[in-house]
Amino acid sequence: MMLFRLLTLPYVRKHKLRTALTVAGVALGVIIFVAMRTANDSVLYGFQKTVDRITGKAQLQITSGDGGFPEEILERAQAVPEVEVAVPVIEANAGTGKQGQGNLFILAVDMTGDRSLRDYDLESGEEAVIDDPLVFLAQPDSIMITREYAAQNGITSGSKIALETMQGRKQFTVRGIMKPGGLAGAFGGNLAIMDIYAAQNVFGRGRTFDRIDLSLKPGVSIDQGRAAVERALGNGLDVETPASRGKQFESITKIFSIGATLNSLFALLIGLFIIYNTFAVAVAQRRPEIGVLRSLGATRRQVRGLLLIESVVLGIAGSAIGIVLGLAMARGMARYIGTYISDLYGLAQHTEEITADPFTLSMAFAAGLVTSVIAACIPAQKAAQVDPVSALRKGSHESFQESESRKRILGAFTFASIALIFWFWGGKSGFRLLTGYLSVVAAAVLLTPAFVRLLVRWMRPVLRLILPVEGALAADSLMQAPKRTSATVAALMLSISLVIGLGGVANASYASITDWMNAAINPDLFVGPSEQISERSFRFSASLGDEMRAMDFVEEVQSVRTTRVRFDSTLVMVVATDMESLSRRAHPKVIAGDARAMFRDAAAGKAVILADNLAMMHNLKLGDTVEIPSPAGILKLPVAGIILDYSDQQGALLMDRTLYIRNWGDDTVNVFRVYLKHGVAPEAGKRGILEKLGDRSRLFVMTNAQVRAYITKVIDQWFGLTYMQIFVAVLVAVLGIVNSLTVSITDRRRELGVLQAVGGLRRQVRQAIWMEAAGIGAVSILLGLALGAIILAYYLGVIRDEVAGIRLEYTYPFGIAALMIPFMMAVAWASALGPGESAVRASLVEALEYE
Amino acid sequence: MSRAWLGLILSAATGFAQDARQIMQQAQDRAKSASQRYEGTLQVLDGKSKITEKRWTYQRTGAAGDSKAVLRFTAPAEVKGVALLVVNHPDRASDQWMWTPSLQRERRIAFQDRSTRFFGTDFSFEDLEERDVSQFDYQLADEEQLGGAAVWKVISRPKKTKSSQYSHAHLWVDKQRFVIVKIESFKDARLIRRIVYRDFRQVQGIWTPFVVEVEDTNRKGRTMLKTDKLEYNLPLKEENFTLQALRRES
Repeated sequence: MMLFRLLTLPYVRKHKLRTALTVAGVALGVIIFVAMRTANDSVLYGFQKTVDRITGKAQLQITSGDGGFPEEILERAQAVPEVEVAVPVIEANAGTGKQGQGNLFILAVDMTGDRSLRDYDLESGEEAVIDDPLVFLAQPDSIMITREYAAQNGITSGSKIALETMQGRKQFTVRGIMKPGGLAGAFGGNLAIMDIYAAQNVFGRGRTFDRIDLSLKPGVSIDQGRAAVERALGNGLDVETPASRGKQFESITKIFSIGATLNSLFALLIGLFIIYNTFAVAVAQRRPEIGVLRSLGATRRQVRGLLLIESVVLGIAGSAIGIVLGLAMARGMARYIGTYISDLYGLAQHTEEITADPFTLSMAFAAGLVTSVIAACIPAQKAAQVDPVSALRKGSHESFQESESRKRILGAFTFASIALIFWFWGGKSGFRLLTGYLSVVAAAVLLTPAFVRLLVRWMRPVLRLILPVEGALAADSLMQAPKRTSATVAALMLSISLVIGLGGVANASYASITDWMNAAINPDLFVGPSEQISERSFRFSASLGDEMRAMDFVEEVQSVRTTRVRFDSTLVMVVATDMESLSRRAHPKVIAGDARAMFRDAAAGKAVILADNLAMMHNLKLGDTVEIPSPAGILKLPVAGIILDYSDQQGALLMDRTLYIRNWGDDTVNVFRVYLKHGVAPEAGKRGILEKLGDRSRLFVMTNAQVRAYITKVIDQWFGLTYMQIFVAVLVAVLGIVNSLTVSITDRRRELGVLQAVGGLRRQVRQAIWMEAAGIGAVSILLGLALGAIILAYYLGVIRDEVAGIRLEYTYPFGIAALMIPFMMAVAWASALGPGESAVRASLVEALEYE
Repeated sequence: MSRAWLGLILSAATGFAQDARQIMQQAQDRAKSASQRYEGTLQVLDGKSKITEKRWTYQRTGAAGDSKAVLRFTAPAEVKGVALLVVNHPDRASDQWMWTPSLQRERRIAFQDRSTRFFGTDFSFEDLEERDVSQFDYQLADEEQLGGAAVWKVISRPKKTKSSQYSHAHLWVDKQRFVIVKIESFKDARLIRRIVYRDFRQVQGIWTPFVVEVEDTNRKGRTMLKTDKLEYNLPLKEENFTLQALRRES
């Protein structure tokens, strides 16, 4: 403690900025980790909480993916002796058109029996909730809202509210107001109850239900109940606990989680070099003090311990700040993720509060602390080895020993070998990719000092050519402090490689999706029930397609029904459409199988076609048999072909619509793909359809360009979070340069003072610092762009094998690389501005007295 | 309006019963008719003394647990045309369907929902059933005075073969007219519902209560059903008691 007071506190007081930068180095990595994980957890928790509130006392739920099933299933479920109550449910998201009020989540139930499962009102009898239950059921415009929503919008019982329905904008009469608590708390109060049979009409559900909620008789266990229901209904329907719905949601958010974890680890790794740098310099600068302490009897262990305690304190400070700021950021990110999931999957969810998981926070804290301690280990060991006599001598002591360099190169070779072995012979697993990825990073980091030495030596003549004195000074400074320079370069190199890797993924994704859109998204118009293609609350009746087919400007209409079914514990999309028509109109890239044969077999209802990502994620090949759960039972069909298709991130499965109708008992339609006759402009076709059908039904007609723009917007949203992570990684690297240059100037205050004393101009000092920054930037860019090429290959591997099964083509992002060069040079120069000014404004006398 | 025991009261006669089953059988026999039709007025009084009123027509064909009934609301305008079809079975719980004209479709009232309240009234859907005396076990509990009349107090328990929301019920049967004047239905030891029959009049030889008052002990209000234009043994067609008829006549 005394040593801490004598040696550490004065140093920290003297170098406040550097200490702050070091703490920030830890904090930023922790921020990404905490913010992303907490946002993910909060979205999941919000979803689970909503599920709990909505499902009430339901112990089991019967679903058929998210597609619904014929209502006859209800009576069969109610007849199961183990079942006490079985009630049908339809869920929908309906727009209110009220500014800032968002959508109303519609929970449609059969009010005659539903109260035994759900708490509509916890405080009093039914009449306080619903004005007149019989009127409520008799009038299909009846709706019950929450008191919160009523208060926000000045609604009272008997008021009318407008909702978007399949029959267009429709007025509903408020015939009940729920008191707060229980069900009314879901979706922040933006919830309404209506009669399920009325909902079938207004949301175009035909005679289907979305799900059945069950409670079991006393004494019947969940497993017994599930087994009994499955026996009665067959194995084509899912019978699961409400909690398992959260699990499905988890698989959707997993994709964010993997990226966030990788990127936060990366940020921490960059932070590690900043901390290492700080400690290495701190040890170098305090050699005299350490020498004095050693002379006065301080043991090596005490000195090592002191440095490690410093790293622990820094780690604790950085982690704590990171956790606080990460939690603050999580709210915005949770909203972003929630919106993205709603847009992409049509899943209604509401993240009301941020859930700080103690495990996540502990992990983040530990990661920050461990990073800090690991970074300080080598400098601490060096400090412990300080010889008291040599320590009291002035001057620089930083150098690489030959043996040290050899060890590094040997280590790098070992890691590179591991990476190569795992890349070519490691099989297809996340472990292989992670090990390979970390090995590549480790090899690159170990090789950095060697590359830095080499590149700076090559660069010296160039720098001298630009500015003879300043260039030489800058190059010499970089070479005289190889450890400091290497650590800074490593940090910057890692962040540049991260940008190249993620940028390459983004480029490849846009390119692949554009290819797919060109091949598959070729109808002139898309007619859907919402501006959002993913919206599945509303469905059209099949007859609407016939009406469009009869229009004189329409050449062909494809009816498309999309639904999600459980497939190996994940939800995958079933796309049911007229396969014969699709084979003529769309020309997807075939991955496996013969295009003509696969569409012929699929059109005959004898086979299915899989999206490539589905086949990859589930290890399916041409000719394999897939088992698809449907209300009529398990459909076993061979895979006739595998095509490139990005309809769904979890994978899509294409089948003929007649097969779907036969097995799902549902002929409703999500989207009509409309091909216009030759010479008819899309806008004219759109107007024509809206004029003839727009007043009868809720429909949105989108042109091909609008649909493409929508898909691009979704991809932009997806990469939005990635860009934010890239920004933080670059910020960490910038901190690294500022830190390094600050250290460099402090380290060379005497040298810079002498330079000025012998006639060196302030301009020259300033420019020398700038040249030094430029040197660091240039070396980092070269190494970062090279490492990025390898990192990109790993990212594509992770996306293919671990995340989405998407086979993205490897293309080096030269455009991004070209942008990175001036950007990073500018960043390096900007980072040098502060330190440069600090160097020229320092007191000459103080500078000469330094040390 | 009909009810498990309400059917039994539509009879009038004096006599002496040997035991509880004989008493109940006698009551059922005396109330027996081939068909029935009346217009009812339903007044629901909530906890805040607010009264809502509805009117319906009731038709029944068959008797003694083997009957079919259609209850069709006639007023107010918002509920006009809403109908309930009840098909009673001698050996099990009834089947019930509700018809909603505005949606042009029927919905089945599941057996599990029979214990729920009948559209905000104090009746439950189960109370609308008409069950044969053979579906219960009876026990004579007492002989007492109720409202100045001598009555038997009978305890009925549903036989194990049938299901009911009630574990047992206490029935008070007028000794002179063999009509049920009061029912208290229990779930274990808890009183769930109380029904009091009043204003007995003899129609075509059958003693019939023209006012039925129901109280659900879980809520603060009560429901009163007043009967009007009651007729027995009318020529009603069997095909009028089907789902098709509900759709047709909406």
